[in-house]
Amino acid sequence: MRVDHVVRCNLILIIILILSISTASAFNRYDENIYKGDGYQINNYFIEVFSIKSYEDNRLLTINIYKLKSDGTYEELIVTREIISNKKITKYQDGIVEIIVKEKNCTSTIATVDITALGIDVENFQPVKGGVLKAKFIGEPSLLLTKEVDKTNVEIGDTIRVTIKAKNVGTGPAKGITLNHGTTPGFTFKSAIYTTYPEELAAGNPDYTQMYIYEMEAAQSGTFTLIPATVTYYCSTYDSEYTSNSNSPVITVAKEAVETSILELTVTPDKTELRRGEKVTCTVSVRNTKDVPASTIRLDMIYPYNLTYESGCKDIKIIDNKPVIQESVYGARYENEYDYTFLANEVGIFNITAKVSYKDGVNNIINETTSDMIYVVEGEYDYLKEYPLYVYIAPIIIISVIAGWLFWRRNQFKM
Amino acid sequence: MLNILIVGAGQCGNRILDSINNKAFGGGRFSKYYSKQKFPSRVETIAVNTAINDLKEMQYTKAKDRLHIPHLHGVGANRIVGKQCFIDNKDLIMRTISERGNFDVAFVITSSSGGTGSSFSPSLIKELKNEYDFPVYGVVILPFREEGTIYLQNSAFCLKEMHNSGTDGIILGDNQFLKYAGTDIQSAYDGINSMVAERMLFLLEALDSEMMMVTDLGDFKTVMSGGAGIATIGFAKGDGNNSIKSIIQESLSPNGLLFSSNIYEEGSRAMIILRGDRKYLNIDDISGQIDKLSSHIGHVFKGVIIRSGEIPKVLSVITLENTVELESLYTLAVEAIQMEKEKHDRMALQKETGTAFSKIDGLEPQY
Ligand SMILES: Nc1nc2c(ncn2[C@@H]2O[C@H](COP(=O)(O)OP(=O)(O)OP(=O)(O)O)[C@@H](O)[C@H]2O)c(=O)[nH]1
Ligand SMILES: [Mg+2]
Repeated sequence: MRVDHVVRCNLILIIILILSISTASAFNRYDENIYKGDGYQINNYFIEVFSIKSYEDNRLLTINIYKLKSDGTYEELIVTREIISNKKITKYQDGIVEIIVKEKNCTSTIATVDITALGIDVENFQPVKGGVLKAKFIGEPSLLLTKEVDKTNVEIGDTIRVTIKAKNVGTGPAKGITLNHGTTPGFTFKSAIYTTYPEELAAGNPDYTQMYIYEMEAAQSGTFTLIPATVTYYCSTYDSEYTSNSNSPVITVAKEAVETSILELTVTPDKTELRRGEKVTCTVSVRNTKDVPASTIRLDMIYPYNLTYESGCKDIKIIDNKPVIQESVYGARYENEYDYTFLANEVGIFNITAKVSYKDGVNNIINETTSDMIYVVEGEYDYLKEYPLYVYIAPIIIISVIAGWLFWRRNQFKM
Repeated sequence: MLNILIVGAGQCGNRILDSINNKAFGGGRFSKYYSKQKFPSRVETIAVNTAINDLKEMQYTKAKDRLHIPHLHGVGANRIVGKQCFIDNKDLIMRTISERGNFDVAFVITSSSGGTGSSFSPSLIKELKNEYDFPVYGVVILPFREEGTIYLQNSAFCLKEMHNSGTDGIILGDNQFLKYAGTDIQSAYDGINSMVAERMLFLLEALDSEMMMVTDLGDFKTVMSGGAGIATIGFAKGDGNNSIKSIIQESLSPNGLLFSSNIYEEGSRAMIILRGDRKYLNIDDISGQIDKLSSHIGHVFKGVIIRSGEIPKVLSVITLENTVELESLYTLAVEAIQMEKEKHDRMALQKETGTAFSKIDGLEPQY
């Protein structure tokens, strides 16, 4: 029992050791030249050549080590400094994390150092001019994923192209990106058009990166909310894994089209300029352009008050003082023409609309067509009408009063 | 305001009356259609005639003011028939007049020579004087001398009868004297009628004391009662350049008078009315002329009407003491009556003895 326990403990220790070696192996930089005031960033640690002081022939190097914070500030870490054979060794230790900076050589402006970091999964390291003030905190990545479709209203059998794009809106790089485009039931995947998406996306790029393009076919009718695409990625700085989902476009898939009839209409006036009091004849032609009959047809004319319907072809019936044509069926490819004659009784510009309503086999359809503009100008003697009534009545009254007076007066002097 | 009656009897009287009515409308053919009569007083006009055609010819006198006395077509210048006709219709005539209300003065216009007017007028005046108190004046037109013996004879009798009718005076006009008013008989009649009408209207204005502060009906009565009861009227109109003196003189001269008379010799009383803008009416000139006239004849009434902007007009009414012209008219009339009588006697004698018919007197036809 005891041996078992020991063996088990040793095994755990070995595993921990292996894990620690594999995840936190030593990071070494040798003979790194750093100018006074500049520094070196390792993940969110910052090594700064703070000062180089000279005494006679000797130079005294001061290295500071900082920890960068997500809010943009930094914290100076407590380090131990040793001088061995006239070379300074600066050391920071906290748990398994250990950073050692060994002076190799030093002029009054440049320090040449060896850097060793332990217990850090180093992902980001670089010299930084200007010291800790210029260092940038390395944060976590955050991918924004979009799923776009080229059409949202389709019929069964139609192909839809789906485009997936991503953008890193976080503050740290996203690494080890894997994408799942997300298949939605009701659609069949047809082909992938573009698949070569990058494994890594740096933060700060304002543009989307194309990740994946594929085509799928609508297989069922209905309204579908697409299953979002998913990306997974990690960030070694924080040693964590992340997942982002895209949006979900909605696609409506209609049932397969049923053959229906379509009635086409045209309205053609015999003239577009006339005088008040003249007549205009409109020819309305109706055409069934399909092989399916239309039924319950009603043809109405919509015309302004300054026209009066006068006469028309025999098919026309007057309903509510308006000319109407009603037919039960227009067979396949049926065509007909109807004439309507209107009297223009007012000056103006207007058009005439023909409105046909019918059953196309499935739905009730209304189709309207409007003629060209028709100009009604004044009739030859129309200007006479423009005066108000009293202009005509007043002189008549005056003349009759005068005539009456003259007549009466004449009789007074007649024997 | 005065109430004035004007009766026009016979064709001549009717036509002068019509001319008065026309002038009251302002003159012109169509004035009756658009204007009102501008009489200064309430004036009633009545036309009386036996000839309906003469009445129908009138144009400016209302039909209701025309009184037809049915007697075929006039009385044919026969005053005896005329007088009988008046007697037969006296009630109708007098009733027609009385229906027009009360009057302050009346004028009866007539020719002296025709039948109807010359016989009706003296009778009518007599009736009016019997029935009413107001003064009644005759306005009498004498004939052209060449119109014939009957007209002369009629004139003589008419004037005499009118004089005896109780009239307050006779104003004479003389076609013969006024012949110059036209080139032919018709235009002469129209001209004379218009002259008489113009003077009558002016006279009416002068009589209405409300209009005229200086002369009035009383003055007119006094003037008309002077002399032999015969008067005439003179009139003259300035042209804007001639002096008031010359206008007064003209009104008293043969050019202005209706009847031939030397008024400085024959005049008895006078009334002179001047009308016009103050600038034309020089008081010294007027007084000079009036004094001159009154030194010759006696009393002269003077009236002045100031009307701004109007050219001066003068009306003179003169009564005559004796008149040479009337004397000679009567001489002619006596000759005419003599001639008519001789003709009459001759005819009577012929009737008794000398006609062809008398040859078979006492014989019977034999068959
Ligand atoms: N000034 C003037 N004199 C007229 C006019 N008409 C007729 N006389 C004169 O009048 C006289 C004839 O008299 P009338 O007035 O015509 O006769 P009357 O009174 O109608 O009588 P009878 O016709 O005989 O019944 C004539 O001497 C004409 O010259 C006229 O319009 N103006
Ligand atoms: Mg007569």
